[in-house]
Amino acid sequence: MRHPHTRPEPTPVLVKLPARAGRRRPASKNAGSGRATFWHSLHAEWIKIRTMRSTLSVILGALAFAVGLAALNGSSAGGEYADLSPADQAAFDPLATSLMGYLVAQIAFGLLGGLVMTSEYGARTIVPTLTSVPQRARVLGSKALALVGVALPVGIVVTLGAFSMGQASLSGAGAPHLALSDGVALRGIFGGGLYLALAALLGLALGAVIRSTTATVTTLFGVMLIVQAFAPALPGALGDWVSKFWPPIAGGQIITAVRDPEALGPWAGLGVMAGCVAALLAVAFVVFRGRDA
Amino acid sequence: MIEVRGLTKRYGEVLAVDDLTFGVRAGEVTGFLGPNGAGKSTTLRMILGLDAASSGTATVQGRPYSAQPAPLKAVGALLDPGAVLPSRTAFHHLLALAAGNGIPRSRVDHVLAEVGLENVARRRAGAFSLGMRQRLGIAAALLGDPPALVFDEPLNGLDPEGIVWIRSLMRRMAAEGRVVLMSSHLMSEMELTADHLIVVGRGKLIADTTMKDFIEAHSEREVLVRTPRAETLRPLLAGAADVRAEDSDTLVVTGLEAATIGALAAAGGVELHELSPRQVSLEKAFMDLTRDAVEYQAEKRTN
Repeated sequence: MRHPHTRPEPTPVLVKLPARAGRRRPASKNAGSGRATFWHSLHAEWIKIRTMRSTLSVILGALAFAVGLAALNGSSAGGEYADLSPADQAAFDPLATSLMGYLVAQIAFGLLGGLVMTSEYGARTIVPTLTSVPQRARVLGSKALALVGVALPVGIVVTLGAFSMGQASLSGAGAPHLALSDGVALRGIFGGGLYLALAALLGLALGAVIRSTTATVTTLFGVMLIVQAFAPALPGALGDWVSKFWPPIAGGQIITAVRDPEALGPWAGLGVMAGCVAALLAVAFVVFRGRDA
Repeated sequence: MIEVRGLTKRYGEVLAVDDLTFGVRAGEVTGFLGPNGAGKSTTLRMILGLDAASSGTATVQGRPYSAQPAPLKAVGALLDPGAVLPSRTAFHHLLALAAGNGIPRSRVDHVLAEVGLENVARRRAGAFSLGMRQRLGIAAALLGDPPALVFDEPLNGLDPEGIVWIRSLMRRMAAEGRVVLMSSHLMSEMELTADHLIVVGRGKLIADTTMKDFIEAHSEREVLVRTPRAETLRPLLAGAADVRAEDSDTLVVTGLEAATIGALAAAGGVELHELSPRQVSLEKAFMDLTRDAVEYQAEKRTN
């Protein structure tokens, strides 16, 4: 091969191999044969989420925050318990006190879900991803399933860790506390883990539509925290409706042991959240399928 | 065989790709040539099912890309060498792509060795140089050992060593009987690589020809004549050829052989200091060919 810059000005005679049009190669033996399936795509997405550096940091961050907050919250709320009025003592919720860290953990899980999509757009790996698996439904579906495979067990670990730390801390402060054998405890732990997995899927749906990591995180903050904080300030009926049905607020009831009569029940609330996430995933699929990569 | 029929991509008012029809044969390197913005990448993205065509079809071995039973085993593509998560290792990047098509892990090691990245396979791809990323992109394209390869501007930003490497790889792949389609906006890159040329401008097909025919059709021979008596020589040649003065003592003659010019000069008693045939570069021929398309575009922008 001639170096382009050492080429003399008159065009040299080009040395070419003869064209071999029409010659067919035998089917490849090296790469294996067979049709690619959903399970292949799931395997690919599992490798990707496992080898994304942010996955570990997001998980560790959520765990540290939830458990740390449970310790602090447990000891301070437990210390104040003795000074509460009898009515407030009756409404004291040791489950919610220990699991309050979910408020921030849900952002971390949402971020993890968002990153599953937005990291592909950020690094432009969406191009190799879609040339490997051109079926968009398969890509989104396998991403969602791989994400749940990480988020659900980790979510349960987060709630279990926060519960254990929070109850130990409450018990140390001499306040009422729960044991794992209490039915409401298991509902809070598994339901809370489920809620965090749903938060991750919410992030995935938002990430698929928004495509930018920062914009996805901002949206997650708005949806999960800002609305929650300002719902009581909204006027009359709207405020009541939002406080009751806004999906993250409704879903959050899953970690409460003392029922707020104004709010939905724990499982009904989680159902609202799940329905909302399913609807958003459907929207994300329609957008993802219709859009050029 | 890659076949494109009436392929069109419209963005609002703008036709990025305008009714393109061409075929790419196996066993040769086909250059997909056009100025920047001619619609080359958009065409390749439609062939690979990344962008939806407004109308028309693109098939590989008779099927649309999305209908391939295992796409990486049908077409290997290098579109964007930077497309890798910086924190992921080269090995895991390829492993995930391979897994999506059920390609065995041994094949990942094989292609890493083939592109010479086996020693850095466990390093984060974010630390890779452009040349290494390009090799990683090629490794991804080769994963499925596909009968067709599509490279978008594969020589962009590479050092001479990398250019030579990719060129010989493409020639080897074609010699093995594969379809090799490579885009570029530089004729000089095609000259040494491609057997067949598909030239586009402003989304339209301008030429679909063998490299040999293209060179023959567009390499007009010129003869450079240097003489202190240019003004005397000029009328002697002007009857038979196209003569233009490049300098006060230099003429450029088209349409006459050097020997004939020498004979005419001798007959006229004109002293010559230089008489050298030269070939118009293919780059210039390509630019002439696509000028209309480019100018039209520039004109449109100012409106």
